[in-house]
Amino acid sequence: MAEADFERRLERLFGEAPEFPDHQAFAERIERRLDRGWTARRWLIGVAGGAGGVIGASQLLMSNLFQRVEDAGQSARALGQGLSHVAPSSEMVSALSGGYGVWVAVGLAVVTMGFAVARVIEEI
Amino acid sequence: MSGAISTQFTVFHDVELCGYAAAGERKAFGELVRRHSSGVRQLLRRMGAQPAESDDVAQDAFLAAFERIAEFRGEGTFAGWVKRIAARQYLRRLQRERRLGGFASEAETDALEAPSHDVDHRIDLDEGLRALSPAERLCVSMCYGAGLSHGEAAEALNLPLGTVKSHVKRGLEKLRARLAPSGSAPDGDESLEGRRGNG
Repeated sequence: MAEADFERRLERLFGEAPEFPDHQAFAERIERRLDRGWTARRWLIGVAGGAGGVIGASQLLMSNLFQRVEDAGQSARALGQGLSHVAPSSEMVSALSGGYGVWVAVGLAVVTMGFAVARVIEEI
Repeated sequence: MSGAISTQFTVFHDVELCGYAAAGERKAFGELVRRHSSGVRQLLRRMGAQPAESDDVAQDAFLAAFERIAEFRGEGTFAGWVKRIAARQYLRRLQRERRLGGFASEAETDALEAPSHDVDHRIDLDEGLRALSPAERLCVSMCYGAGLSHGEAAEALNLPLGTVKSHVKRGLEKLRARLAPSGSAPDGDESLEGRRGNG
């Protein structure tokens, strides 16, 4: 018998395995172990998440978060009131749109022109 | 996954079942175990494991296969892949328990029983393997049962390649004498290292 034939035959013989009578029970055992592993993993993740949540919540409570939030709320209110004073009123808008605004614009234009001329002279 | 699909896993091909298993479907993997556990357990017994030990190793191998199922690309058969995992796990166990002590010797060891040439019927593989020394049996099973090359077997056994080749060669000679039909003798001293000899 040729060597390759014998080796092929050997491989075929190794591949031929009679079905074990308990192969069903064996598979179920493995499925149970997989399920157990999965359940254990879910419990572990759940417990870790719960513990993390408890620690986080306790840290928030211990750092007086609610007091700080209340303080921040008061600060925001005070800032809002301050900004409402700064907001342009109708008198300012009318003043800017009238003669006063024109003079301010002319003044700024003169300063800018003076600055530009000085710069050009320096360059020459 | 609906119950309807899970009850129909029996009709799926191994590669499809691997896909479901990779998605976490444990019932699909259970079907793969149902199909191939006998082959894996048989291989481990042929490698020399006792029945209880072969079941333990096979279980661990299947669990490891489930963990690594995403690595299975379907290039070979699932059975071959899981057999290689099982063979390597069994070897690790042998190494851990220091049961590979005498395997490094290339000297011929006595067979468990002398091969007889006067049989006029085919002796099955398991009976033939019993005529091999533990090292020969292990090496032949790894190469022809688990599909490892000589090089891979040597690496897994932590033995020199030449030692593994010697074990395989002697094992094949003995098996050939046992498995050959009545009247046909082995072909002289022709190399029996076989097609795996380049590994």
